[in-house]
Amino acid sequence: MKLLFENIDEPGLATREVYERRGGYESLRKALAMEPEAVLAELEASGLRGRGGAGFAMGKKVSFLPKGSIEKYLVCNADESEPGTFKDRELMQKSPHMLIEGIVIASYAAGASRSFIYIRGEYVQQADILDAALVQARAAGYVGEDILGSGHSLSLVVHRGAGAYICGEETGLLDSLEGKRGNPRLKPPFPANQGLYQGPTLINNVETLATVPAIIRIGGEGYAKLGTDTSKGTKLVSVSGHVKRPGNYEIELGVPSREIVYGLAGGLSEGREVKCWFPGGSSSPVLTKDDLDLPYDFDSMAKAGSMLGSGAIIVVDDSTPILDVALKVAKFYAHESCGKCTPCREGTNWTVKMLERIETGEATPMDLEIMASVQEHIIGNCLCVLGDAMAMPIGSMIAKFRDEFERHIEQVRAAHAPAAGAPALTGALA
Amino acid sequence: MPRPTPRTITFTIDGSEVQAPENAMLVDAAKHGDVEIPVFCYEPKLGAPVGACRMCLVEIEGIPKLQTGCSTPVKDGMVVHTSSPRVKVAQEAVVEFLLINHPLDCPVCDKGGECPLQDIAFGWGAGASRFVEPKRHFVKPLALSEKIAIDRERCILCYRCVRFSQEISEDYQLVLAERGAHSYIATFDGAPYEAPFSGNIVELCPVGALTSRDYRFRARPWDVEDAGTLCTLCPSQCNVSLTIRDERVMRVLARDNPDVDDGWLCDRGRFAYPALAEGRVSEPLIRDGGELRPVSWERALDEAAGHLARAAGGGTRVGALAGGGATNEEGMALARLMRETLGSPHLDSRVAGALPLELHRALAEPSLQAKVPDLEFAHAVLVLDCDPIADAPILDLRLRKGARRHGTKLVRAGREQLLDEAQRSELVEQLRAAGEEVVALWHERLSAGADGEAAVRALLDLAATLKLSDTEGAGLLEIPTHANGRGLREAGVLPDDDGLDSGSIVEAFVSGELSCLYLLGVDSPVSGDGTIIAHAPFLTDALREHADVVFPAEAYPEKEGTVTHPDGTAQRVRRAVRHLGEIRDERQVLEELAIRIGAGVPA
Amino acid sequence: MTPKLRQEIEAKMALYPDRHSATLPALEAAQRVYGWCSPQALEEVAEAMDVTPAYLESVATFYDMLETEPAGRHSIYVCTNISCSLLGADELFRSIADAAGDDPEFNVRPFECLGACDIAPIASVDGVYVGPLSTEDVPQLLEDIRCERPVLPNKQLVKRPCADPGASA
Repeated sequence: MKLLFENIDEPGLATREVYERRGGYESLRKALAMEPEAVLAELEASGLRGRGGAGFAMGKKVSFLPKGSIEKYLVCNADESEPGTFKDRELMQKSPHMLIEGIVIASYAAGASRSFIYIRGEYVQQADILDAALVQARAAGYVGEDILGSGHSLSLVVHRGAGAYICGEETGLLDSLEGKRGNPRLKPPFPANQGLYQGPTLINNVETLATVPAIIRIGGEGYAKLGTDTSKGTKLVSVSGHVKRPGNYEIELGVPSREIVYGLAGGLSEGREVKCWFPGGSSSPVLTKDDLDLPYDFDSMAKAGSMLGSGAIIVVDDSTPILDVALKVAKFYAHESCGKCTPCREGTNWTVKMLERIETGEATPMDLEIMASVQEHIIGNCLCVLGDAMAMPIGSMIAKFRDEFERHIEQVRAAHAPAAGAPALTGALA
Repeated sequence: MPRPTPRTITFTIDGSEVQAPENAMLVDAAKHGDVEIPVFCYEPKLGAPVGACRMCLVEIEGIPKLQTGCSTPVKDGMVVHTSSPRVKVAQEAVVEFLLINHPLDCPVCDKGGECPLQDIAFGWGAGASRFVEPKRHFVKPLALSEKIAIDRERCILCYRCVRFSQEISEDYQLVLAERGAHSYIATFDGAPYEAPFSGNIVELCPVGALTSRDYRFRARPWDVEDAGTLCTLCPSQCNVSLTIRDERVMRVLARDNPDVDDGWLCDRGRFAYPALAEGRVSEPLIRDGGELRPVSWERALDEAAGHLARAAGGGTRVGALAGGGATNEEGMALARLMRETLGSPHLDSRVAGALPLELHRALAEPSLQAKVPDLEFAHAVLVLDCDPIADAPILDLRLRKGARRHGTKLVRAGREQLLDEAQRSELVEQLRAAGEEVVALWHERLSAGADGEAAVRALLDLAATLKLSDTEGAGLLEIPTHANGRGLREAGVLPDDDGLDSGSIVEAFVSGELSCLYLLGVDSPVSGDGTIIAHAPFLTDALREHADVVFPAEAYPEKEGTVTHPDGTAQRVRRAVRHLGEIRDERQVLEELAIRIGAGVPA
Repeated sequence: MTPKLRQEIEAKMALYPDRHSATLPALEAAQRVYGWCSPQALEEVAEAMDVTPAYLESVATFYDMLETEPAGRHSIYVCTNISCSLLGADELFRSIADAAGDDPEFNVRPFECLGACDIAPIASVDGVYVGPLSTEDVPQLLEDIRCERPVLPNKQLVKRPCADPGASA
């Protein structure tokens, strides 16, 4: 069943006319005819869990906002930066009105009067498309004052980032949207109480908000029938790496992972096997080919010691040295660490240096112990989840591919060892 | 505005039940049980905690993850562990992380011996590092400003200095540049960090990254002693701790007094100390053959006593002016000398204006007095005819704090608005709209000039309209021109009913009506045919040309006595170093003169 | 500062309840005019926004897309993150960097995941995503930029259909 990708490639879907022809903005009309509490009840009944990475129940998140006439904000997190993730990009580019419609409905349920789409700066074309769609939506009265005569008003601004992974972290995003460096904030207070401009703020991912019109259309209960007990609905999955047909696929949560990798994405090229795969972006602990039969949902991934995350599957084949994968991952998080808290700033940086020593043959197997222990020292001790986002996958690689790391260390050391006959180090202590 | 009045709760820390104020952050609450939780970034003076360094991680029963003690408010019944195996692992990890890029150049670091990083690494670290890779490198040290050096390699990125610049002094010149492990403390395009309170960052720095260039390599902590006193260079009267080595002031540090300075110091107070030791007048001088020449105390005292006695012999021909950091005791000694010994009513410590005594009494009415913390918690502060940053710098920080943290409304006005009835009502409305607790912060200059008296009456009228004397936390706070302006007035350095005020004393001296002028803590304002006797720390051009007797004055670190804060609180000035050269206690000099005149000095 | 740039910055500030929120848009606009966030550009934006230039420097150095050193007019971001590197992105980056040489018009940078792993390895050329690229595409890519033509029209992301076979049904 396709909810988000239905008609996705229809020419002109990004325009209001075509979107409306396909039933667009009907959910908004339906929602505005309901009480906000009733809309919220549908969202809660749907069981929709956040699609950005944390998987928190969306309806519950909305319900955390204080009631009353206080000014509230809705922020759409379109900073999609988790390596391997590109689903929101496709949605925004091809169906911008679906996102806008979802935002307006969610703002109605939450009582928010100002909203922002924080889109990563690299998505220039998608931001332009959103801006154009927003002009049309405003002209049609879907956004602005007294929307469709409902009395509900909402302003919406597309805000472009400028290149920083950490702005995908919700409080880093808020600081960035306030014009600062995107440093995550200490929690509590949580954004629902003190978010943007210190006001109550609802932050949701693009896919989460874009799902809202479908929930209103088919009803919360109807939506909840899809997927599994604890992972309801459909989910966009970005598949990339060593597969024949990389791309975005809308799946029902709970399908076997193998079906996604080998079925939808076409599997690996001839003769190659899966060495490891990231089930939820590069910050999820790696799984191996033995885990491919697990159902692809929140709980199964967690039980396997990893996570569904943003729903980005990266497949690595058996020709790739695990060290290369580890270095790419560690360097990325070291580059993106904001530097605010100690374990993340120093730990990511140190991990890169250790991996580089392994690469150049200056390491001993004992360094693997140190590296593993450094990952443990990062996990759970940081201000936000970025440190863990490196330490968890690196830790999993050391745990699962220790032999290979050790072999590499020995091989490179052997290659660098002094040639036979070369003078060895001698001295009083030798 | 309501001020925090926390109730006491009981919680358990490391096995003992401890009472602490509810909602105090755990690191502060722990102190009530004699438990120290190590911190780097936490500094409550800087506002809300940021939880950046992660040094203060603790285990709280019922919460799965370790929590930062700096940002977790203590609740009744909470059970906290600060030295469980899990916490120890985390503490050792954070110390190890912090040290991987720290140069460990403690033997040549000025902070060595008084360094939180050293202490915490010793107390909570594992004692060994597994880091063998190259550390990060920067060009070092660099001049962050004329006064401050920065060593970026030592920096542990605790954010304290940038938070000070951004959230306390609000100059927003000091920032973090770049990201992650490449972050460093920077100014725009490498420009010097020049701001009125910049020196506080040296004290805030928990490592040797920011050091005072004047103090660099001058002493080790075990070479020095601390001496608490007050800075009397301005009416703020900040509490300071002087670092003393061999009877010399090596540096000036803040000594936190929430009722006065909130633990901050201005750069003048912090960095002016070398001037207190150089180029000073260190022995008595008298004019001899047209020039000031050093003489013995005996000779100088006799000379001065002779001048005063001769002038007083002619009736009421001596005038006296006092100011600067002159203490209450010196003020009283001067008043006695003038009134009782010389029989002169012409003495004053005010620079501007000549308010009648009844107005001084009305302004000093106890129920109308505002205290410094009231500036922070008031609904509105009227900043009247004053520029705090120039007049009493530390109050500028207090006003910013109130506005930032408690939403205190700041209303600036000049005397015109006060004098014009329509504008005054508008001002009253504006203040009243903010709330009942209103403080008017005004400067002595308001009372100057032809309409000075009218302006002060208008101020009292405004206070009455707003019922400031009936409102807790509301009132008036005057910034006097002189550091101890209020104390000197209260000590009686004011003209008698038939006496001349400061302006008239000067005029009378110029016209020859007064034949002798006695100056305590003020520079010579005039020349005249008469005699000038001055207590002076430095020989100004005016003194060099016109003074007849100069007594060497004490710098504040040499003084003993009390001064009165603008809000009426008496504060103690304590001698931290011995007198330079031949300098004597100035109060004794005044008393000695009285004795000599009373005994009938040779005329 | 040009009146046009000032106008743009003022319009951005008006979009938000707090003018500081316009910092990134303002810096982006200034970079378009000056080529990079030069000290002069920062000082002028600071004046227009009533903030300190230090504040802007702090923000500008945090974000990868804001240049705090002089940079070429055409930005070529080559994704070298995991999915692209598995498919040869590091070689692609070196090839583009070598071909661009020291041409001051180009700003060739290895970049973190650009969010288009479906067409890995990819590059973003002045905001236009193209891929999958091989080293053979490099001469054409640079030529298109030099001639101010649409870059590799057949490899532009916006023209690609969704991979999901059920999507277009």
